[in-house]
Amino acid sequence: MLFNLREKLNSSKFLVTAEVSPPRGTKFSVPLEDARQLKGIADAINVTDNQCSIMHMSSLAFSKLLLDEGHEPIMQLTCRDRNRIGLQSDLLGAYALGIRNICVMTGDFPSCGDHPGSKPVYDLDSVQLMQLVRKLDSGINFAGNNLDGGTSFCAGAVSGIDPEKPLQLIKLEKKVRCGADFIQTQAVYDVGMFEEFMEATSHLEVPVIAGLIPLKSLGMAEFMNKNISGIHVPEEIMFRIKDSPDPVEEGLSIASETIKELMKLSRGVHIMPVGSHKNTPRLLSMAGISGK
Amino acid sequence: MIITSAKPLEEILTLLKDEDDIFIIGCNVCAAKLKTGGEPEVLEMIRQLEKNRKHVVGWALPTAACSVRSFDSLVQKNEKINEARCILVMGCGSGVSTVASVTEVPVFGSNDTLSLGGSSEGKLLSDQCIMCGKCTIGEFGGICPKSRCPKGLLNGPCGGAIDGMCEVNRENDCVWTLIYNRLNKIKRLDLLYTVHAPQEHRID
Ligand code: SF4
Ligand code: SF4
Repeated sequence: MLFNLREKLNSSKFLVTAEVSPPRGTKFSVPLEDARQLKGIADAINVTDNQCSIMHMSSLAFSKLLLDEGHEPIMQLTCRDRNRIGLQSDLLGAYALGIRNICVMTGDFPSCGDHPGSKPVYDLDSVQLMQLVRKLDSGINFAGNNLDGGTSFCAGAVSGIDPEKPLQLIKLEKKVRCGADFIQTQAVYDVGMFEEFMEATSHLEVPVIAGLIPLKSLGMAEFMNKNISGIHVPEEIMFRIKDSPDPVEEGLSIASETIKELMKLSRGVHIMPVGSHKNTPRLLSMAGISGK
Repeated sequence: MIITSAKPLEEILTLLKDEDDIFIIGCNVCAAKLKTGGEPEVLEMIRQLEKNRKHVVGWALPTAACSVRSFDSLVQKNEKINEARCILVMGCGSGVSTVASVTEVPVFGSNDTLSLGGSSEGKLLSDQCIMCGKCTIGEFGGICPKSRCPKGLLNGPCGGAIDGMCEVNRENDCVWTLIYNRLNKIKRLDLLYTVHAPQEHRID
């Protein structure tokens, strides 16, 4: 691979990242096959960490499998399942295996997932986890002891995009102050709102990669508006999906138009389809992005 | 105040299935207030246990089950405790432990202990404090995120709140919204910019 994510963030290229989930078992050919469709079009692939608190193969192991296939993985890391000891040892292990990019987040509460009674850890929060990563990068561990070989991670964090939520903006500011190299956001449907968010956070001078979830049906849009924090599908988009004979295709058109708008506003897009990446290559070419 | 809720009778009967000659100890502080261990509840428990053919040798209501001075102090309240082959404490977990520390027979609890809370203006307030051992509540305007955010987040909310309600239980306010409103009211929004270090869990 010519560029790694850090170099690409420093370039002027509009970046494409995409999300892939590890398998829910030991067989990994299906998600690996899914990731293969992103070869040459995605600059990096986020690997989810037991998303929605549903137990999957570890993001560390699947990131390594992607690395072996020549992808550039971004290992997601939540605060839900590991204390500061576990987080550090996984970070050291990931680095030793060649994983250079991570994205830290709080993580959904266990009660949202398939093991609702498991112990929620949250020894650190996402701001503190970012600080921890920077400590490892400086060659010392969180307790202040020297490491026998440190790390050098390109580390990102996540954010909502509602400019009216001051607490989110303040937390984002803390993540950046603690060393975030990039931010990946909640899905954008309302470009006007995203523009206001970018204005409200312009002083942070951090590369923002805008999230995107192509719509597939009216039900999906309604569900997200009601149940997913920070997502706002505007009425006009709801009408387009509702009136279309082919909502999946319409969802792709909407997403490709959104990408074109986002090219003027953000450093890149982060594609998180529900299901597989079957339509991702076409979506990107509809948006005029043809790969490297 | 320690918040408790009464276990269902069936569960208590299961706990006591191999026990008899039971002595009951209530608690006249928190449990009495919450109606999980005051005099009426103790008397009702006796009725229920007897209905289920358990022999209750007697009962006592110390001021606080968690501050029982000694076994003798219980004897002074009701010497029938000398005949007990088992004790049922209608208090919180701390009350059960305290009673167990001064007695020689098996001790059981009739309640589930839920949180350290309070009550004000007629409303029960749960999860006000988790007794973290290093109080920093003043940095959050007097509303504790360690106890009232299920994730104990110290640097601001997770991304899960919808319309100010918590992702874990949509009936509860996201405590960070409450903290924000309170700090706004007392003109201390500057406190939100502090980067807080993680809570230490050392046992010294
Ligand atoms: S910081 Fe919170 S949990 Fe700790 S002692 Fe103070 S109120 Fe209790
Ligand atoms: S919604 Fe608020 S109270 Fe609930 S877990 Fe998230 S930050 Fe904590």
